[in-house]
Amino acid sequence: MRPVNDIAALAFDRVTFGFGRTAVLREVSLAIHPGEFYAIVGANGSGKTTLMKLGVGLLRPASGTVRLFGTAIHDFHEWHKLGYVPQRAAARLTLPVSVDEVVRSGLAGHLGLLRRPTAAHRDRIEHVVEIMGLTGIRSSPINRLSGGQQQRALIARALVTAPRLLVLDEPTTGVDADARKALREALEHLVEVEQVAVAYISHDPEGFNELAHHVVEVVDGRLVEALLTDQHHAAAVPEPES
Amino acid sequence: MDLLTLGFMQKALVACLVVCGVAPLVGAFVVQRHQSLTGDGMGHVAFAGVGLAFLVGAAPLLGALLLTVIAAVVLFRMQRSGLAGDLSLALVFYGGIALGYLFAARSGSGVNSVLGFLFGSPLNLTWGSVAAVVALSTLVLLVVVALYGPLVAIAFDEEAARVSGLRTDALVLTLMLVVAFVVVGGMYAIGLLLVSAMMIVPVAAAAQIASSYRQTMIIAAAIGAASAVIGLVAATYADATPGSSIVLTAIIWYAAAATVAGIRRRLRAASAGGAR
Repeated sequence: MRPVNDIAALAFDRVTFGFGRTAVLREVSLAIHPGEFYAIVGANGSGKTTLMKLGVGLLRPASGTVRLFGTAIHDFHEWHKLGYVPQRAAARLTLPVSVDEVVRSGLAGHLGLLRRPTAAHRDRIEHVVEIMGLTGIRSSPINRLSGGQQQRALIARALVTAPRLLVLDEPTTGVDADARKALREALEHLVEVEQVAVAYISHDPEGFNELAHHVVEVVDGRLVEALLTDQHHAAAVPEPES
Repeated sequence: MDLLTLGFMQKALVACLVVCGVAPLVGAFVVQRHQSLTGDGMGHVAFAGVGLAFLVGAAPLLGALLLTVIAAVVLFRMQRSGLAGDLSLALVFYGGIALGYLFAARSGSGVNSVLGFLFGSPLNLTWGSVAAVVALSTLVLLVVVALYGPLVAIAFDEEAARVSGLRTDALVLTLMLVVAFVVVGGMYAIGLLLVSAMMIVPVAAAAQIASSYRQTMIIAAAIGAASAVIGLVAATYADATPGSSIVLTAIIWYAAAATVAGIRRRLRAASAGGAR
């Protein structure tokens, strides 16, 4: 048995959301506890990214409640507990930005408007740069790196505040097999050793299935627990309880 | 060197140096956010502000500041309401130029009186207008230094910045206001139509040779300042228009930096090929 705390890091309670009259998610309930790895799979456009944008506060549900660490998301202020890796953000960078600068930018919300990083913050930067295998390329412009290296830099940015919940949206898109392996090992360490809760969104979770404690699929706006084969054929079972 | 003893040249140098050194610091954020034409749009609105000032008999600086601040807020709200960035900019852009022409034509001074603000007339500045330029540029510099970390975060990835707890709406609005201040400060020195070029061209040049964001900003500011001095001196000797001369100097910097970057890429490719 894995140690599981009572309070979920991220919980959806009967959450419904739509764009205009088009319903994307219907009455979705889900709870991810510290030390749990949740893989959320589904076809492109199925609503899994929308689900996680609701989970990190980028979208507001039409009905239902999203809670972070037991607090309703509109009352939540401890954002340093949350690490978010959006889809391939590095691809949008037009100017040269070093890996070090990308990682440091993850501290901006924690520091607020006028505070400067302390020695403890700098130590944390060193730590995440090291565990994500970025030490040798930390001065390199991120847009000249491979997809896997870019992704590791973005994960390091998300980890720089020592979050207790990590949300990754399609982290292996355009990433080669070696980088997938490195990412899997890093996530395994975070979940098993540091007891971080992980929400891992992917249309192609190959290689991460054995890491996941739960695999759920978004089908027609609802979550169904999926028993994945290597070819990701899902067998639907009743919706998990929150 | 004799040029520097001339009062009009001293005023022109101070105003151009300050504006062209500070403008790229703001431009780096604007370019990274894919909003390079924001300064251009603000320039057109500032034109309307100058026209309005002539119409009501107020100081051009106040008219330009008033309308660009309003435009920054309107532009922000339009973009947040879901209107595409380029479409909202175009609406502000065309609205500004139409209003500016209307106001200027209606004012007793006529359209020609506002032309100096469109293309700048740094050699005709008073110490009062130089002080206004320096004050606005100092304010911009202070905001950039104080909010450097959060501004970098929203420039890299606004969604991630918002999830990290930053008040991104306030920061984006602040950035737009800062762009407005640069444009208004620059209207005396190199003109409303050309000042946005000094936010973008030095950044584009620096990006060719820099390897980090901070380095890009520092090199861009240096290129901006150097372009101001070289362009102004060249314009004085060649009897050319200073604003054009400064911007063209910056474009020459860009061409030189792009050439250097191209040579470096070819050398890297050749050494990588040789290593295989």
